[in-house]
Amino acid sequence: MEFLAQNQLYIVMVIVLAIWLGLFAYLFRLDSRLKKLEGKNKN
Amino acid sequence: MAWKIFMGVLLTLVIVLGIGLPMSPHPQTWYELPVIPGLEEKARIIFFHVPTAWLSTLAFLTSMAYAIQYLRKRDPLDDIKSSAAAGLGFVFCVLATLTGAVWAKFNWGSYWNWDPRETSIFVLLLIYGAYFSLRSAVEQEEKRAALSSVYSIIAAVTAPFFIFIMPRIMTGLHPGAKGDPNGAGPVVEFKMAPPMRVIFFASLIGFTLLFIWMFRLRVRTAQLEQAHHAKG
Amino acid sequence: MPGDSTRMSSYARSVMSVFLKDWRSELRTRYAMNALLMFVVTTIAIVLFSLGSEGAPSDALSGMLWTVIFFSAMSGLSRTFVMEEERGTTFTLQLLAPPSAVFFGKLLFNLVLVLGLNAVTILLYLALITGFVIQTLSIFLVAVLLGSLGFAAAATVIAAIIARANTRGTLYPVLSFPVLLPLLLTVINATRLASEGAYFQEAYGEFQILISYIVVVVVVSSMLFEYIWKD
Repeated sequence: MEFLAQNQLYIVMVIVLAIWLGLFAYLFRLDSRLKKLEGKNKN
Repeated sequence: MAWKIFMGVLLTLVIVLGIGLPMSPHPQTWYELPVIPGLEEKARIIFFHVPTAWLSTLAFLTSMAYAIQYLRKRDPLDDIKSSAAAGLGFVFCVLATLTGAVWAKFNWGSYWNWDPRETSIFVLLLIYGAYFSLRSAVEQEEKRAALSSVYSIIAAVTAPFFIFIMPRIMTGLHPGAKGDPNGAGPVVEFKMAPPMRVIFFASLIGFTLLFIWMFRLRVRTAQLEQAHHAKG
Repeated sequence: MPGDSTRMSSYARSVMSVFLKDWRSELRTRYAMNALLMFVVTTIAIVLFSLGSEGAPSDALSGMLWTVIFFSAMSGLSRTFVMEEERGTTFTLQLLAPPSAVFFGKLLFNLVLVLGLNAVTILLYLALITGFVIQTLSIFLVAVLLGSLGFAAAATVIAAIIARANTRGTLYPVLSFPVLLPLLLTVINATRLASEGAYFQEAYGEFQILISYIVVVVVVSSMLFEYIWKD
């Protein structure tokens, strides 16, 4: 418990980082899937 | 391609450094952030609140720009872009309002105060809501595009009355209102220590790049959907 | 140039004839007028009952007045376009008059309507709501005039937009409110100044905003109207 209270700020950072990296990964996947679909359409 | 990775790294750094860099009352080293009395650690939210508010305005302007293009050229792609920008703008507007309310709570005591700038972000929210209600109420695509383009232009034209004029006339809590010793103005010239300024502008740039990427993804998705429907 | 004056006057005549057409048809069937007046009376009665014997501070009463005016405007100002859709006369009107003439004709109609409506509302409000007094009449009169102009301008163009949509009734206030809000806030502030007895010069800031709002809205709407109007 003390650890959590002392390091509140770093816990916030980890949470925000996790959300951000998750979002980034999602966008990246979306981007590559779109590229594949667009490639299919061209052919 | 590379710029997306750049943006990803940039924003990751912003998060890590913005939240992680130590604060001390008298910064000794180059990487220490100064403590702002009364705010201390909570000041870090500025790295996220201001960029989201900036983005919602940028998105709105983008939407209006494509609306004008649509009315001039009647290219359906312009309407797709206008609507995509508006959708993103709405999301960032909600984020800006929420982060602003959190900031307001620990800075001025309550979540909402009807300060002119708070009111203007609320009005932006209303405009987005109205824009999407209008779009869902018109079925014919060309009519929908034309009417929503006209509305977004009218809204864009009346909105500045809030953002620029009201805070000048009425005093408010937000920086940039009449009673602010730092001077009134739409973009507040705040005094920020160098390390904070670096992270702040990095955040601004990163978020803008993020917006561009998300915008293009949305447009490409809509285009693929249309092509799919056209094929039958 | 000899042709110009006839062209100008025939344009002016188009505007007037659009206006007169709406005017006469409203006079012929009094339904809309009566409903609007009843709406004003009812709303003021509600305010009266909710205030009871206690008063309210002057800024609250100023705000109340313009809230009543806003909702009356929402009830009445969309008629001019919605009525064309309902009667199926839109297409005919498109053929008979140039788009900007239609716009200005209907704007004129809404202006007359809003001025009349506001006059009734204000008289009733002043008479019935005892806490509300106007100390500086000049500020109040200018504010009402400019406010009415602004209302008419914004309400007319948005009425044109929603006339083509599905859920017209509820959509109208939703679209109008964000656009009208700067006007509302400014005019409420001016009314508050008037009721508190401020000097005429103190309201200059408000008047400037009101005038620029009117100019901007009228100019932009008249330019955009043909995109709404043409099919």
